[in-house]
Amino acid sequence: MKKVIILALLVPFMFMMVGCGGAKPPTKMSNVPEWYLNPPSAEDAYYEAGDAAKQSMGLAKEAADARARDAISRTLEVKVSNMLKNFMQESGIGAEAEALEFTSSVSKQVANTVLTGCKIVKREMKQEGNIYHAYSLAEYNLNSLVQQTLNEARKQKALYNEAKANLSFEDLEKEVQKLEGVGK
Amino acid sequence: MKKTLQISTILLLVFLTEVSSQTIIPSWFKKLPDAPTGTMYAVGYCGKYQNENSAKKKAVDVALNTLAKQKSIHLKFYIEEINDGRMSLMNPIFQLIYEKDIFDEVRDNYSVVDSSITTDGYFVLIASPKTKKNVTSDDVNWGPPPDWIQNTPESEKWRYGIGIAAKYSTWTKAWRDTDEYARFDLGKNTSINTESIIVIRRTDRTGSHSKIMRQDYDMYFKDSIIVERYYDAKTNSYYSLCRAPQ
Repeated sequence: MKKVIILALLVPFMFMMVGCGGAKPPTKMSNVPEWYLNPPSAEDAYYEAGDAAKQSMGLAKEAADARARDAISRTLEVKVSNMLKNFMQESGIGAEAEALEFTSSVSKQVANTVLTGCKIVKREMKQEGNIYHAYSLAEYNLNSLVQQTLNEARKQKALYNEAKANLSFEDLEKEVQKLEGVGK
Repeated sequence: MKKTLQISTILLLVFLTEVSSQTIIPSWFKKLPDAPTGTMYAVGYCGKYQNENSAKKKAVDVALNTLAKQKSIHLKFYIEEINDGRMSLMNPIFQLIYEKDIFDEVRDNYSVVDSSITTDGYFVLIASPKTKKNVTSDDVNWGPPPDWIQNTPESEKWRYGIGIAAKYSTWTKAWRDTDEYARFDLGKNTSINTESIIVIRRTDRTGSHSKIMRQDYDMYFKDSIIVERYYDAKTNSYYSLCRAPQ
């Protein structure tokens, strides 16, 4: 009888241990790198962070890197779009449909084009039970953005001519070149 | 019964040794020395062996492959992530192509400048073109983690990539993959196409956030060299640092 009672107590205890072992431990805030919570800022570069939790360390790294780069790409799209919209509005053609299409097309193209020189500058890997939690910080130098924007605007020249025949392309270049003064 | 137990114990010991190995390595395996102008170094390795000659041949083959890849490599990378807030699917694809002509050229003109036998295996350092200069090395341990594991080096002359891998059953496969991941990371830090679509749906009661992200590149590299390696025994993790000229 004693043996049966002991066995009966042991079996549910064993199941409890197995269940407990499978639970995912929560991320401790102290484990999160400071630069992930507060990415650095600079006049001449963008910084964006990404993270991923996976069972494979390699996959966690790939995912965190990709998410950080994607965040840079989205920031660029907004930046370029705002820059072009400001220029168009100051030129008095902001609301025209062709102008909007030109702005949208150029900014999307820049964001979806090659991210040249976008580097992962910081990386940390934390192990949380069986899970690897990767944190990545991507840096993109604004000097690359200036040239890429001009290149795309030139490619969209036909659309630009449709928007405003009298608008000087040189004025657009001057507006974009102002970005080169950033950080100096 | 006794025999089965003995065989199992031996197999377990061999397995554990293979996994938790890499305590002592030649210094040039940890950090590649600067090669003389016009020459390129590469390391090769072979795990535990029965026959020293075949181990040396295997290590030299690995070194020749590494050297060919260092001279010229074609890398294609593609990653796609689909995330609907409840689950995430990620699919990275790595494709590495190097030319047989370059491999043949290296194979016909190389010399072994140093070799080392440790408890883990056979290591060689080769140079191409052939050189009379030899490298002397000490066997070292891994020491504390270097700074480049967390902070990618900055240089006007070089660009860098870092490879990371963990939980491999054999260290030779681990280093082979980690070195390649470092090359692919170099490519990503150079230039990458990226696009993503985010869809946010909101109703009075619920909200959902879905995202599809794609990134890819297709590039050729010359002189992409694995210059440093580090092994963290506590977490069984491997790190490689790849460097190429700007």
